[in-house]
Amino acid sequence: MKKKSLAFKIFIYSANIIISLIIAFPFLWLIITSLKTYDQIYSFPILYWPTEITFEHYMHIFRLDFPRYFLNSIVIGLGTALLSILIAVFPAYASARFKFKGKNSMLISILLSQMFPQIVFVVPFFIVLRQLSLLNTYPGMMISYLPFTTSIAVWMIRSFFINLPQSLGESAMLDGCNRLQVFYKIYLPLAIPGIAAVGIYAFLFSWSELMFAMSYLSDKSMQTVPVFLSLFVGQYQTRWGPLFAGSIVASLPPMIVFAFLQNYFIKGLTSGAVKN
Amino acid sequence: MDKDKRSIFSKYYSYWFVLPYIIFLMILVLFPIFTNLTLSLQTENGFILGNYLDAVTDSTFSKVTFNSMLWTFSSVAIQITIGLTLALLLNQPVKGRPIFRTIMLVLPWATPDIVAGVSWQWMYNDMYGVLNDILVKAGIISDYLPWLGFPNLARAAVIIANGWKGFPLAAMFFLAALQTVPVTLYEAAEIDGASVWQRFLYITLPSIKPVIITTVLMTTIWSINYFPLIYTMTGGGPVNSTDTFVTYAYKEAFKFLNFNSAAAISNISFILILIISIGYSVFLFKGED
Repeated sequence: MKKKSLAFKIFIYSANIIISLIIAFPFLWLIITSLKTYDQIYSFPILYWPTEITFEHYMHIFRLDFPRYFLNSIVIGLGTALLSILIAVFPAYASARFKFKGKNSMLISILLSQMFPQIVFVVPFFIVLRQLSLLNTYPGMMISYLPFTTSIAVWMIRSFFINLPQSLGESAMLDGCNRLQVFYKIYLPLAIPGIAAVGIYAFLFSWSELMFAMSYLSDKSMQTVPVFLSLFVGQYQTRWGPLFAGSIVASLPPMIVFAFLQNYFIKGLTSGAVKN
Repeated sequence: MDKDKRSIFSKYYSYWFVLPYIIFLMILVLFPIFTNLTLSLQTENGFILGNYLDAVTDSTFSKVTFNSMLWTFSSVAIQITIGLTLALLLNQPVKGRPIFRTIMLVLPWATPDIVAGVSWQWMYNDMYGVLNDILVKAGIISDYLPWLGFPNLARAAVIIANGWKGFPLAAMFFLAALQTVPVTLYEAAEIDGASVWQRFLYITLPSIKPVIITTVLMTTIWSINYFPLIYTMTGGGPVNSTDTFVTYAYKEAFKFLNFNSAAAISNISFILILIISIGYSVFLFKGED
């Protein structure tokens, strides 16, 4: 291909830089504001760069037992991720590698279940979990997240299995492996990137989820980080300081996960929709 | 005995793989959906569609329907447009592309929903918000505006915030699709003297059309269902002006403890999604022939 002109290059670079700054701005502004004292948060005119930096808001949320909420979020997120993988990996494998009666209806019902709004599930789960005394528990939260994480999990893992060559399993079977061994010795290890992507998806879904958590977790010691943050948002008055600090800390796990695993993740997420 | 077990396994092996999942679908997907349907049909006066009738004839319902439509179509339009533009930009080879990609595609998307809501709510703040300050200094507005206080401004405000939160998903899909378009096509077109615009129109767009259609459908369903941003930023206010079916049904259930009416409203929003999806599929199959 012929070389791009210098003007074009300058245009592309400046577009990249300017757009990145605009997109990052809401988050950068949040960080800056979280380090301001209350006087400077409420300064008029706006103070773009704080003259003194304070960690008082961060200290404040730690005094409010923030680590406890953080732990709750981690436990529910990890549980949701593991259960989603466990439930999804078998049907994903079967629908990618075998022909069987009812396979298409299964795939269609997965797609259909994805279309049901989450709000349809909120009240029924609430009633059932209340009867089983599972409100305010970790398992109760994980159960209510699974319908939304597993169907995507099946699709994503399935697309990974489909892309692995059929011949691998055939030659393993000639070597004396049975079907189960072919699955867990040959194919499962190769699908780990896809499985990891699914786990990350489920974890982040649960990490960010507000509607179910807010309705089912009334007990303070069981609440997740989004519920904790939502308590600072008031109709008449919002306590901004701790809200900003808590928001920054809440964003760290997803940001860290993405910084390291974004290639896996984007590949896993898009491989179902985009066929090479 | 052992042999028998194995033969049953090998005869029906695929079903053994699938069975646990089918049970899961029945208990955790079908059963709640059925429960919600039953709830929505339970009424005091015995008329089984009573809750639906009450919901539809309520004076706020038409407002909520209008909001849901406006919210969904504008959000999708913004997310698809920005997503496609940025995917095209990120498809250009530059130094430091991974950094630009991380900021543009990952940052808004990895930000937890409620954090995005908080961040935008603060930027829109009428007294201390940075948006008013910038717009006044740029001479675009002369006085500070209460962004989340007036119905139409609030509608625009939540839609813009949702555009920021949601475009990365579309951009990720478009970028992945763009990378599968063969470079030779562009080279041939360039030799034939096609302009940049012509190359976009006759090569890029047709090649990624299937992905665009899927992405539009996905972002549509996703926008109809999206709850936390509106709930955090405005709580559906002022006076229901940013309420969508989802926030409306949620408040009906957990603020007014009216489970039956909430069930009816949430089913209406599902029917809406179903109609849209069927519409898309028909459109899709027409395009295939």
